[in-house]
Amino acid sequence: MGIVIANIIAIYRRELQSYFVSPLAYGIAGIFWFISGLFLVMILLGPGGILPTIAAYDVQGQQFGIPVPPIDVPYEFVRAFLDRISWLLLFILPILSMGLYAEERKRGTLELLATSPVTNWAVAVGKLLGVLTFFITMVLPLLGFEAIAISGSNPPMSPIIPIVGHLGLILLAAAILSLGMFISSLTDSTLLSAVLTFGVVVLLLLIDSISKVIPGPIGQAIGHLSLLKHYNTLIQGIFDSSALILFASYIILGIFLTAQSIDALRFQRQ
Amino acid sequence: MKKISKKKFANLLFLFGLFLLTLGLTVGLISEKWGILPLAFIISGFLICVVWIGLKTQQSQFWSKRSTQSTTNALVATLAVLTILGLINFLGTRYQLRLDLTETQLFTLAPQSKELLRNLPKPATVWLFTREENLLDQELLENYRRQSPNFKFEYIDPQTRPGLAEKFGVKDFGEVYLEFDNKRQLVQTIRENERLSEVRLTSRLQQIISNTTAKVYFLQGHGELEITSAKNSISQAVQGLTDKNFTALPLNLTEQTKLPEDAAVVVVAGPKRALFDGEVKALQDYLNSGGNLMLMIDPNIDPKIDNLLKDWGVKLDNRLAVDISEVSSGLGPAAPLVREYGQHPITKDFGNGISFYPLARPILINPVPDIESTPLLRTKSYPSSWAESNQQSEKLEFNEGQDLKGPLTLGVALKRKLPSPTPTASPTPTASPTPTTSPTPTTSPTPTASPTPTTSPTPTTSPTPTTFPTPTASPTPTTSPTPTASPTPTASPTEENSQNKTKESRLVVLGNSDFARDGLFQQQLNGDVFLNSVTWLSQQDQQPLSIRPKEPKNRRITMSTAKANLLSISSLLLLPFIALTTGAIIWWKRR
Repeated sequence: MGIVIANIIAIYRRELQSYFVSPLAYGIAGIFWFISGLFLVMILLGPGGILPTIAAYDVQGQQFGIPVPPIDVPYEFVRAFLDRISWLLLFILPILSMGLYAEERKRGTLELLATSPVTNWAVAVGKLLGVLTFFITMVLPLLGFEAIAISGSNPPMSPIIPIVGHLGLILLAAAILSLGMFISSLTDSTLLSAVLTFGVVVLLLLIDSISKVIPGPIGQAIGHLSLLKHYNTLIQGIFDSSALILFASYIILGIFLTAQSIDALRFQRQ
Repeated sequence: MKKISKKKFANLLFLFGLFLLTLGLTVGLISEKWGILPLAFIISGFLICVVWIGLKTQQSQFWSKRSTQSTTNALVATLAVLTILGLINFLGTRYQLRLDLTETQLFTLAPQSKELLRNLPKPATVWLFTREENLLDQELLENYRRQSPNFKFEYIDPQTRPGLAEKFGVKDFGEVYLEFDNKRQLVQTIRENERLSEVRLTSRLQQIISNTTAKVYFLQGHGELEITSAKNSISQAVQGLTDKNFTALPLNLTEQTKLPEDAAVVVVAGPKRALFDGEVKALQDYLNSGGNLMLMIDPNIDPKIDNLLKDWGVKLDNRLAVDISEVSSGLGPAAPLVREYGQHPITKDFGNGISFYPLARPILINPVPDIESTPLLRTKSYPSSWAESNQQSEKLEFNEGQDLKGPLTLGVALKRKLPSPTPTASPTPTASPTPTTSPTPTTSPTPTASPTPTTSPTPTTSPTPTTFPTPTASPTPTTSPTPTASPTPTASPTEENSQNKTKESRLVVLGNSDFARDGLFQQQLNGDVFLNSVTWLSQQDQQPLSIRPKEPKNRRITMSTAKANLLSISSLLLLPFIALTTGAIIWWKRR
């Protein structure tokens, strides 16, 4: 068991190191930060953003004596921001996951990995952890910006809802990356892998609306597969065990399928 | 030869199996019932296919290949993992842990709603006739559904399914109906800024389950309008009430001295003779114990109910309301047209619609503390309209000193909270002259008139002025604030009402009864005036369950300009710039 963990850590480190010397990774991070910063500023400060709108409401309420309905501004801000970020993930995550195996296949190092004494699933777990760590690194500065914004809230807000929301964000990203990793292991073209992952993720995000057409328990079961539905539950501030189980299922499924597809490689080449 | 026929047979078998599978699926999908028949088809088809696969693999040496073995292993393992994950998720939805972390429990149902749903005896369906499916509404309805398997909801586009919309009588987008046990009821109309409310939905659900039809009693015996179809009857109005889930019954107070306990509303519709003292006292007792009374008194009749009206600060004027401006309507000057309505749940939706009152008497209102009065119907202002004192004279003209200048109030709605300090406990404040309606301020304040203090055992007499912040009746009825702007006359519960469970009694006084008579009832807004009045009186807008509306915590973000600028610059420029330059440097070095 210790060896397996050591193996996973070794793969994880190798994977992580590769990100820090890859110009592509920096490019992705830069674009991600720019777009999410744009979202943040637009939602919070921009014209039609939360702060100016609510300030206008308050002034109006004072002028005309209309009572302003209670609004939890930081809560709405965190929710709106996390909601927009989930759409940004659609485009960023397939790019992150596309190279995970496709790159190895292209370079011809996949056979080495497949035949190495490290078990396939350990490789998959290490790779997933690596890319997830990279993603978390990308999210951390945003968390800092949000903290700066929320710190000005009056009365102060308890951090539990943003924490659960960001946990949801990371779980969503892990589920998508895991599936993307599997798709990446099927092909040696990174572009194809990214496009396929994008398609699958869009399907999983939107499956909720498809399920509404189908009546009965089958429709409900399909609706339960929706990633977006569970993500929305979490960012609203509802801790739902079934949502966590679903995200975990996607992650496990992705790792398992990746291991299987690499396993199948051994016999395909014979 | 024999072998070929066997092969052919096997292929036919496979086709037959496929046929059975398709048949089963088709039958099941079309009938939407997965009964024995489609299941039998599917299972037998599946079995035949399995047999065929077995036969096929026996013929070729497929199984002994190593790649097949590993592929099969992978397939079986994948299927197993999928099944296990599916089962775990199924169990996860069954035994779900849901914690609402929002501070005000925004996404948790009130205990009353949960209790009601747990005991839901039959399927209840919420139909939402709208196109846009709001996430918050869905969240709320999902919460309801989690409590009871009998609860369902469905979104319907009224334009794609007009038949269903017709069945419910949908008039507008956004109407939400509740269906239970073949009964249908409007819950509310959802709009962009007015989302589905738990308070309304739960109280509607309770109403529709408990199935209590409010009883409306019509006083009889003094020449009032009959409730059964006759010459001088209000049978159309009674029919309208029945449609609104009321039961209309006659009431004879000479036989019994007390009013029936189940009376939601008592209507006195145009008595021609005076009421007995005992009858008036019974009505007074009824009002003091939280009853609801509607008085429709025609001019030139003294029903001897002045004592009752005095407590409420209402006086029936003996003059006749005339309106000489509306010549085109052909109604004559003695049937004043009303286009102006008070700010009240009864008249909320009327706008500038027309209602008319042949032979009506004006009503004078004096503000009385703890009684909230709202004029409902107002005639035009002088010189178009005035109250004529000399009805014998041939010529209609305004006589200064005898006649009363318009605008006249022809109907008034009053309500009093119980228990509340009676007028005896706190004498009325100085009679502030109401500019429009009460021209006789000298007679108005009647602080001594106590509502039968000897007989009423109700807590009305207990003066608790400190604890009860009742809005004092505003002296200017034109601007008198109705406390609840929201309630529609069709018994929609106001959120405010949920917070005080105090009983209240309501009174509507109209200076005319003919407008609700058969023939006139259906014309213009006359019927709505009557039906809305009864609905308001029945106090169905009172909250049966005290559910507090869910409101988020009021919170703001205060941010200085410097901080905002810092945030914008660092998130928009600095951070992406660092990342992109680092990337560029690495790329340059690698080259």
